[in-house]
Amino acid sequence: MFGKGLLKGLKITIGRFFGKKSTVQYPEERLPLPDRFYGKPDFHYDKCIACNLCVNACPNKVIKLGTETVEKKKVVTGYHFDQQYCLFCGLCEEACPTDAIKFTKDFELTTYDRDTIGIEFVKQGQIDKKIKEVKQAAAEKAAAAEKAAAEKAAAETKSQTEEADKAETTNKEGGA
Amino acid sequence: MENIFVNAAGGIRNLLESAGLPSLVVDISIMTTIFVAILVFVLLNVLWLVYMERKVSAYIQCRIGPNRVGPMGIFQTIADTVKLISKEIIIPKNTNKKLFLLAPVMIFMPPMAVFAVTPFGKGMVALDLNIGVYYFVALASLSTVVIWMAGWTSNNKYSLLGSMRVVAQMVSYEVPLLLSIVGVVLLTGTMNLTGIITAQQSVWMIFLQPVAFLIYLIAAVAETNRTPFDLVEGESEIITGPFTEYSGMGFAFFFLAEYANVLLVSMLASILFLGGWLAPFGLTFIPSWIWLLLKVYLVIFLLMWFRWTYPRTRIDQMMAFCWKVLVPLAIVNIFVTGIGKYLYESVRW
Repeated sequence: MFGKGLLKGLKITIGRFFGKKSTVQYPEERLPLPDRFYGKPDFHYDKCIACNLCVNACPNKVIKLGTETVEKKKVVTGYHFDQQYCLFCGLCEEACPTDAIKFTKDFELTTYDRDTIGIEFVKQGQIDKKIKEVKQAAAEKAAAAEKAAAEKAAAETKSQTEEADKAETTNKEGGA
Repeated sequence: MENIFVNAAGGIRNLLESAGLPSLVVDISIMTTIFVAILVFVLLNVLWLVYMERKVSAYIQCRIGPNRVGPMGIFQTIADTVKLISKEIIIPKNTNKKLFLLAPVMIFMPPMAVFAVTPFGKGMVALDLNIGVYYFVALASLSTVVIWMAGWTSNNKYSLLGSMRVVAQMVSYEVPLLLSIVGVVLLTGTMNLTGIITAQQSVWMIFLQPVAFLIYLIAAVAETNRTPFDLVEGESEIITGPFTEYSGMGFAFFFLAEYANVLLVSMLASILFLGGWLAPFGLTFIPSWIWLLLKVYLVIFLLMWFRWTYPRTRIDQMMAFCWKVLVPLAIVNIFVTGIGKYLYESVRW
């Protein structure tokens, strides 16, 4: 019949008219993100062991890791993430042995100016705290070692005197 | 509710007459009030139609459409209009400046003038002309001239091509449009729009003249330059046709006038074929003017539904369809209607 296609088209569009709408009202509603979504990175200062693996894994040299050796221990003093160069490949996350760097699902990364786009994760307070902790631990360890050494030394001197006493007595005995 | 507007007009008349004004002054001021009211009615409808078109298109495309400005985005058109008013009107070089600026003003005249004879409800007609249909169609076709004016004075090849298409299309489709109306006029025996409505008291014309209604609807889509016959503004070929060079409010006028024309053809469709302000099934507790609006919006929805369903035709297809299908069909319809009327009157069963 002539015009059958036209009627079919009208039927489809009226179905769509009353059908479900696929619009998601973005700021108010959001689509669920997939589990493996790579958004803004997140860094756990306490988990980081300053091994530099993430820095080496990054293809764009996004991560700058600052370290300082305090009492023979590496302390993270800076973890700068130049986000504008990041391609969200997730290689740093894979490389990290302690899960210190993780990608979150936050994808709203726009900023008003270029200087604020890089993220400095480490705060001065955290560094101070960590250094203090390391120093304290080192001091405790040193104290413990000293104590142990002192005990050892005391024990040694004791045994020496005993030996000396022994020797004296043997000498006396031999002399007599 | 039924006579709210009629009573309001009568009240104003009594007020003016009791103030002791001469009857000529009273008549003039009453007429002015009525025409201003019609103007406001048309403009509000046009604003609403732009919004409605966007909503309908959005719903058909599984979207939501404008929903930020006001509740459900109802003030979107007002916001857009305010934006367009604030924009610069660019006048291209070597144009006839006067005509170029006059065209967007004139585009509103034919649809506005036509509403003078439209019966909006029982007893609600500004001018009860006995050749109402003739006046309606004659004035409505004047917008061709205005669009040609816009295209010619723009001094631009796209505008010129577009306006040539307008003339070709609108003049061609005027023929089946008029011929389809002739069937109704034959049956009712009057050209008075109120007379045509009252003649449909027992049965609406759409049931007696279904072919004429179909032809009218197709021709009306072409007359208002809407998809599938919107070759006038075939974006891929000729930008926006005659309106290419217009910016700001100039463009907005053409845009809004399109909807005034949609209102006009839907109004005529509901008066001629859907019984105008007559209430179906004896539901007379709803005022007549609400019935007319309901019918008009039904036809408008139909036009919008067509627009967002069908793709654009080619110019040769469109012309061939008009002259080879619609015009012969309309003539056959008149012939059959004439014979049917003659038989009905001679047999009188």
